[in-house]
Amino acid sequence: MKKSGILLGFVLWAVALNLAGQERFRKAQPPPEPRQELKLPSIETSPPLTNGLRVSVVFRDDLPMMTLQLIIQGGESSSPDRSPGTASFAAHVVTRSTQTRSASDIEEFIESIGGSLSVSTLEDFTLLTFRFLDDYLDQALELLGQMILKPDFAEKAIKSVKSILSLDYLEREKDPEFVAYRHLIRLLFKNHPFEKMGFSRDAVKNWNQKDLLEFFDRYYRPNNAHLILTGNIPIRMATRKVSQFLNTWQPGELNPKPFPPISPPQKEKICFIDVPLAKDCAIYLGTVFASTDLDPSSLSVVSQVLGGTENSRLFMNLRESKGYAYFAFSEAAFYKSAGLFCVRAKVAPEFIYPSVQEVLKEIRKIAKEPIAASEIDQAKSYLIGNFPIAIERLSAFSEKISEIMAYDRGNDYWSKYYEQILLVSPEKVFKAAQKCFLQPPLVVIAGDKSLLAARLNEFESIDVYDSKGILQYTTNKEKQ
Amino acid sequence: MFDKKIGVTGLVIVLAAGSLLSQAPNKYAFPFSQYKLKNGLQVILSEDDSLPVVSIAVAYRVGSLHELPGKSGLAYLMENMMFSGSADVLPHQHFNNINRVGGKLNASTSEDMSIFYQTVPSNQLALVLWMESDRMRFLEITEDSLAETRKDLLDVMRQRRNDDPYLENQFSFDQLLYMDFPYSHPLLGSEDDLRALTLDDVKNFYAAYYVPNNAVLCITGNFNKMKTGELIARYFETIPGGKDLSVVPLAFQYTKKQVIKTEEDSLALAPAFYMGFRLPLFAPNDIYSLTIFDYILMRGRSSRMMRRLLGPDNKIARRLGGGIEKRRDRFAYKFFVVANNLYWINQCQNAVFSELDKLKTAFPSDAELNKAKNMFRRDYLDRIATTLDKAIFLCEEYFSLRNLDDLPLELEKTMKVTNTDVVTVAHRYFTTDNSVILNVRTK
Repeated sequence: MKKSGILLGFVLWAVALNLAGQERFRKAQPPPEPRQELKLPSIETSPPLTNGLRVSVVFRDDLPMMTLQLIIQGGESSSPDRSPGTASFAAHVVTRSTQTRSASDIEEFIESIGGSLSVSTLEDFTLLTFRFLDDYLDQALELLGQMILKPDFAEKAIKSVKSILSLDYLEREKDPEFVAYRHLIRLLFKNHPFEKMGFSRDAVKNWNQKDLLEFFDRYYRPNNAHLILTGNIPIRMATRKVSQFLNTWQPGELNPKPFPPISPPQKEKICFIDVPLAKDCAIYLGTVFASTDLDPSSLSVVSQVLGGTENSRLFMNLRESKGYAYFAFSEAAFYKSAGLFCVRAKVAPEFIYPSVQEVLKEIRKIAKEPIAASEIDQAKSYLIGNFPIAIERLSAFSEKISEIMAYDRGNDYWSKYYEQILLVSPEKVFKAAQKCFLQPPLVVIAGDKSLLAARLNEFESIDVYDSKGILQYTTNKEKQ
Repeated sequence: MFDKKIGVTGLVIVLAAGSLLSQAPNKYAFPFSQYKLKNGLQVILSEDDSLPVVSIAVAYRVGSLHELPGKSGLAYLMENMMFSGSADVLPHQHFNNINRVGGKLNASTSEDMSIFYQTVPSNQLALVLWMESDRMRFLEITEDSLAETRKDLLDVMRQRRNDDPYLENQFSFDQLLYMDFPYSHPLLGSEDDLRALTLDDVKNFYAAYYVPNNAVLCITGNFNKMKTGELIARYFETIPGGKDLSVVPLAFQYTKKQVIKTEEDSLALAPAFYMGFRLPLFAPNDIYSLTIFDYILMRGRSSRMMRRLLGPDNKIARRLGGGIEKRRDRFAYKFFVVANNLYWINQCQNAVFSELDKLKTAFPSDAELNKAKNMFRRDYLDRIATTLDKAIFLCEEYFSLRNLDDLPLELEKTMKVTNTDVVTVAHRYFTTDNSVILNVRTK
């Protein structure tokens, strides 16, 4: 038995050696095939309906699902100054109940067509998105028509939405990431209409029927809206059906006001907001710029190098190398008149000081030292490779389309994406990084004060704010 | 280990190339073909050239059900060990390679399946096949990688316990419901078992289950079928098959006697209960009827139980969860409810029984049945919405169905469920005698 075991072992060893010799192809990573062309469906837009409503269709027939999106060109920045959050309030009231259907009826109706409904109120626009089985386009349009033409602005409906959103905010205000981002927006967009994005839960109390009616009357107009259908439907049929349900929607007079120019912070500042009982803390660092000042593709490459993924500089430094953070990423956003670049990280309280220092070090480095060509190539490879993957799901696909249409990025945006990324040169990247980061950034830290107090003393100076965004006091290391 | 299969090239068995499209000319179909390599690896291919992306999933029929007493947590540990490097791929290189090309990847383990999946630009298919075959063929299992993975998993366990105060109660409930060890122990295993696992335990587990004849490779998306067949043969065909792994399911210990237990827990923030019903599937089509039953009762905000316990005018619970659970050949229906105090928790428990009684005594309306079916169709479409979804779906269904070509019939059978079928399964399985209840009380 023992001899045969040894013999078997020898045979296996010999076979293994032989196999290893035969399989040299395993030793090297296989090279990629040539990149395949990205062919995306075109966005077809019909002439506006008689009431001014624009209708677009993006043909997609891989699944019998459809999305119907209504863009209203009025977002949080359009809320009245005295009542921030009204845009969000309006979107929720409009979609919760109508004069003919209760909130329960609407929930039931949407589920009965295999559907879902989501509402997003962004800086520049409001987006209502229905997703449903494509047998039920008429029913979805009928419901949308009722929401727009017969909204329920009765006190009971208003009270109900206020109560739901107030509870929602109560939960969100326990999250340091939400609190830090909101405060960053308040400070970066101080005295700009986008500042209203940073409203607190207290704002809910001020929401009222009068402001709601005025907002709806002004912005929910067909000539201020764009309806997009994604699915298996020809543009002519889509236009006919939309017209059938929404042709009585009355146009209004539009007086869009130009936004004031953006003014980036003049001085680097570190701020803190207490989030009681939060186990971890959030760091948000940001800067703003006029959207015409920066090339989006170049800034995308900068962001990718700095903090686009787990292989980017911030993550590799703060998590993989130092072990300070759960994550550290960056992202750039382009709105109609302004752009925002921000870094976000979630860190353990004991590492708050070195984490902020490392984030600042990374952004100073990227603004002062040109990025190696290989790192830029890798970032471009990621952006190009990831683009079709990121829009594969119908919901993500539709979201991208709504963004293209809301920001008038052009129906041919799709086809230009690869080309624009490929055209980004190291010089353009360096210029974008300098433009973004040579100006002083703002840093917001949110976390439990009781866990952070000693650590915050390590900073030279910190502005401490309350949850409503009011400055309470400033700490100064020298005075301590 | 290295047997006569070495050097054999080409595809050995080409099964019917089953096409959902041809078999069921409906909007829910998508084409796929399948074949088996000589070493037993099942290959499923589904082409879709809409976008230049491809998804690759490798699933092994192994999970917590395959663990022995004292060795719990092995499957989940192995899932994590699979990223710690193989003969020709450095530790973490798998992740980095996918990330660099803009792809995404992940893995998951269930009671009966461990699946590794990624989506990449279609020109990077060979890269993924190279890495997946390397870890199937020769994973580097060392004391260092075991220690590192074990430490990470102990952290995950602690984190999950912190995040979910009812987690330990859930494990107790599973023991009451499923009774025997393979089906009832937690997927993550126990801390003691995890600490006690040896390098040999891990190596033996890998050698037994992470073999081609226990796996399915599924590729979906934009690829050239001919070239892909050659790549699969190149990278996978010389991997030796493992021992025969035919599985003999344990007999279901089905007893018709109500079980009620109460546990006090210092972590519980509010009183709660778990309630379960064993579903031994007395009739083959009962699972389809139970699926529609589940949608009527629990799925969506307008479902009966959601309205009853969490309705806008009738919010008596803080949390409600549950539905059909499948652990290989065993099915159960579960409810989990948290309420503010004992009075409301009793009200909630009565409400569950009352809603079950309603489903036994009155047929759901056609509109309600239709709504349930439409929601099921929507969720079914969500399972095949992307190339990755399709790859995972095909792997799951391959392990779940006797024959993958029966896939179109699954949807059809669910769509044919009638009001009577729903009432029948409500009567058949949702009896007081068949209920298992674990009450959780705050300490």
